[in-house]
Amino acid sequence: MAKKRERLEVIRDILKVIQNSRNIKPTRLLYASNLSPQMFKDYVDELLNKKFVIAEENDGKRTFSLTKKGQDFLQEYRVIENFVDNFGL
Amino acid sequence: MDIFTFLVENREILKPIYGLLIGLICFIIVLRVDKIFRLSLHQGIRYFRNAFVFYGIAFLVRYILGALINFGYLSGDYFNLVTLVFKYFLIMAGFFLLQSLIWKRVEGPNIDCRSSLVNPRIFIFYIMSFVIIFLDYFWKTHYFIFLSQIIIFTMASGVSLINYYNGKKEHGFLKFYFLAMILSLMAWILNAVAALFEWNQMIILIVSGINVITFLLFLYGVVYTTRLR
Repeated sequence: MAKKRERLEVIRDILKVIQNSRNIKPTRLLYASNLSPQMFKDYVDELLNKKFVIAEENDGKRTFSLTKKGQDFLQEYRVIENFVDNFGL
Repeated sequence: MDIFTFLVENREILKPIYGLLIGLICFIIVLRVDKIFRLSLHQGIRYFRNAFVFYGIAFLVRYILGALINFGYLSGDYFNLVTLVFKYFLIMAGFFLLQSLIWKRVEGPNIDCRSSLVNPRIFIFYIMSFVIIFLDYFWKTHYFIFLSQIIIFTMASGVSLINYYNGKKEHGFLKFYFLAMILSLMAWILNAVAALFEWNQMIILIVSGINVITFLLFLYGVVYTTRLR
């Protein structure tokens, strides 16, 4: 059985999907994130609140795209992961 | 004049330098760690950062204000207050450092706290800190703080040893982190021994040396692990 993802890993995975897809629709992001609908909603709400992601309306359809802060997170993710692992936090 | 005699005779001048050095190390650590905390909002990183905020304040209060009192710029009436404040921040720093290692087991990985200083889980640290300080003050001793820190760093050493065995192949700094915990534990044990021998100056000097090495180890680890691109 696959190891349960840590919170940071889930955030990274969601942001990577958005980064690769540019403006992605919620349903497609849900499938790609491999999360339950409730957990997906919780994570997306958190990412929107923390301004890693923005939601836009395009032709009446909602899409997500990455903010600069979200891009910075992905760049810094290796540093964050390295720090957490080397200090056992 | 040997170096030990030189250090003992000039200790009142060296103490503020020592406090400034530790304060500066803590400041650099907090700056670097805060940056990655603000991106990740990782609870363990938050507690680790808090530990060094509290350590920095503790050492600056004790050794800078202490020097001002020693040299007559501040009234000696403040010395007890300075000692109490120093102990409080030192005890809280130890709690935060331990919490940074065990928070997942204690709080769960998906906790969402707006503040790491005002939340029910940390509230117990405040209570324990005040109890320890009160007991030391009431019994006119330092053994309660020594005992509390020896317990904290024994636990932290155990956890960091387990982390080292679980991750030694991939993460090189884990062994240094375990070493830092062991050095901290040794420093607190030696502090207690020094107190037993009427604050033997040789032991105090050794403790100060160990503290500097320990904080430099932490600084090295933070710089080493946060420079990766």
